[in-house]
Amino acid sequence: MNFGTRFTAAALVAAGLSATAFLPTVADARDLTIVGFGGGYQDSARVHLFEPFEASSGIAVSDDVYNGEMAKVYGMVEAGDVTYDIIMVEAPELVRGCEDGVFAKLDYDVIDKTKIIETAVHECGVGGAGWGVVVFYDKARHAEGPTNLQEFWDTEKFPGKRSLRTGPKITLEVALMADGVASADVYDVLSTPEGVDRAFAKLDEIKDDIVWWKSGAQPLQFVGSGEVDYAFGYTGRIIRAMGEGADYDMNWNTLLYSVDYWAVVEGSPMTEQAMQMVEYITDAGPLRNQTNVWPSSPANKEINMDPEIQAKNPGMVLNHSDKGLFLNTEFWIANGDDLEARFTSWAAQ
Amino acid sequence: MNGKSKMSWLLVAPLLILVCVGFIIPIGYTLIKAIKNPEITAALPRTTSALENWEWDGKSPPPEAVYEALIADIEQGDRGRNYGSMTRRLNFEQSGSRSIMMKARRIADKIEAPYAVSLPEAVPEFGDGDIWQLIKQNSNPYTARYLLRAMDLTVTLDGSIERVASDQAIFVDLFKRTFVISIWVTVLCVFLGYPTAFWMSTLSDRAAGYVMLLVLIPFWTSILVRTTAWFILLQREGPINAALLGTGLVDEPLRMIFTRFAVYIAMVHVLLPFFILPIYSVMKRLGMEYVKAAASLGAPPWRQFVTVYLPLSMPGVAAGAVIVFMLSVGFYITPALVGGLQDQMVSYYIAFYANQTINLGMASSLAVLLLLFTAATIAIAKKLLPETGSGIRA
Repeated sequence: MNFGTRFTAAALVAAGLSATAFLPTVADARDLTIVGFGGGYQDSARVHLFEPFEASSGIAVSDDVYNGEMAKVYGMVEAGDVTYDIIMVEAPELVRGCEDGVFAKLDYDVIDKTKIIETAVHECGVGGAGWGVVVFYDKARHAEGPTNLQEFWDTEKFPGKRSLRTGPKITLEVALMADGVASADVYDVLSTPEGVDRAFAKLDEIKDDIVWWKSGAQPLQFVGSGEVDYAFGYTGRIIRAMGEGADYDMNWNTLLYSVDYWAVVEGSPMTEQAMQMVEYITDAGPLRNQTNVWPSSPANKEINMDPEIQAKNPGMVLNHSDKGLFLNTEFWIANGDDLEARFTSWAAQ
Repeated sequence: MNGKSKMSWLLVAPLLILVCVGFIIPIGYTLIKAIKNPEITAALPRTTSALENWEWDGKSPPPEAVYEALIADIEQGDRGRNYGSMTRRLNFEQSGSRSIMMKARRIADKIEAPYAVSLPEAVPEFGDGDIWQLIKQNSNPYTARYLLRAMDLTVTLDGSIERVASDQAIFVDLFKRTFVISIWVTVLCVFLGYPTAFWMSTLSDRAAGYVMLLVLIPFWTSILVRTTAWFILLQREGPINAALLGTGLVDEPLRMIFTRFAVYIAMVHVLLPFFILPIYSVMKRLGMEYVKAAASLGAPPWRQFVTVYLPLSMPGVAAGAVIVFMLSVGFYITPALVGGLQDQMVSYYIAFYANQTINLGMASSLAVLLLLFTAATIAIAKKLLPETGSGIRA
């Protein structure tokens, strides 16, 4: 063997070794992984739900953040390499994921479903927390702002940029209500082709003034930096920003709300532990502690109905549900794909 | 094989492996994903084979055997993963199909034979041939439908190809936009980079070294950092607007972020070094003798430039322009951060289909078309741009 061959062989071995360093390691034992949308909600959940579960069960838990993209979850289920065990999802995604077999059927022998409000129990998920979006603006920049959706659309009275969540869900409902449709009729109107046209026509009116956001942190950043004048943002995050000193005005008349669910990913190697954890984090005890620091609206009956907690957390979505529009899960399961395609095409033009 | 050739194969082996693993396999995989169509047959093997002998006539439904096959497929299917992908696949072709197929699955164990009667009673859409024709049409192992859709075309139930409804059309405009943005970015890089590189090539080595640093430091900085820097600079209350307002040049802040302008400025900034570096290396090696000869023959400066210097430096311009163009065609993060939804390029939708709507066929088709269009553009550009200068140099 001359030097050249030996050198080449050594180089090949080195290349092979370094290549294995980049390959995913499959068999590693890992923490039970719970995934949510991040932000202050998840910070409070980490302290008051996840860590106490870790302490009481002895199961190591770590949490991760995503923006609601389901592709990664579908991908890991199809590849049989599931690294997310519990995931927080919006209602239509829960139902569709359940139909598609990417979420496991929950073990209601482990999870006590009687403690959850009936409308937030599904074969593949239990209600985690209520959430909502409202219009908010920076009072330091604008003494007055839109108090309802018609005014949110009124670019003469309130000139400036608006910010909405990217995608048809929320956007189309808001457009119809701004066009004068009563909240009780929104989904009836939106179920007709004319209604969809009407919503997009309404959106055309302010299209050039809209900045679209994707993650919940963005509207806060846009409004805080003055980039956008009036934005829809998640109520919890707005309230937190106000608690940290921001001088924002938020208007509950513009509320649209729903419930996010905890689901267990099908094929998780830690399904059993995941069920235990779902049981724990939907329990009244830990949730009560969480409401001390975060105005979440848990779907746990005891917490949900507790007048003391409601009084202490005026920002809980459920305190304002009478003024808001409840996002219709069935409608978005049936029409989500088409409206997503239409929205994508519309927004790109 | 003698020792020497074995040796040379061993030496190139790492490169070959890299090319294979990093280039041929992923691109091949993408190409196949763009035309692969396994979803329907995987979920409905019996139904699709029962449909083979049935002909769609625009109205009548298939015979009872087909209905039985569907019920058997549903009852013997898995926990739903295949069925779910099948419904997504059908819904992509015909909106509303997902809910029809899901309804069928929900009632499958509650109805009795003959299913040709009981299934349409429960789900009326199964009473005519359309949904069956849709299943039959999409049961080939390969399909051109993703590629067609990526050009805003769709296949009707009778098999003819037509344009999609205008409120769903998006991709023709998207490709146009991607190429217009890329061409403008390339042109801007040429006009900004050429004089810069020329000036650098006239400096002393020491001075050129310092100027080169100014080119290289941004080049070494991550794209994300540079794009975010532009985001901050271009904000409504950012430094540029503050300066403009402060000097009284404008009365109210300019809208720069989330516009096409921001996309151009950030992309040119990111890509400019890719143009300057090759053109500078050509100019540096370019002997000034020919220019001097032209001058001594009485050519005025502009003529020296146009007839001598420019043709000599053309190979560098072509190389730099091709690099800039190819890179900008695939840009994703910069337009995504500083542009609006109207300023996004093809890569944004590749990511959208891969991450958001879980449609890898569509994502792959867009990638394949982007690759083809880019290759074609460069081939045409090569034909149009004569290889000026090389003759003189030789």
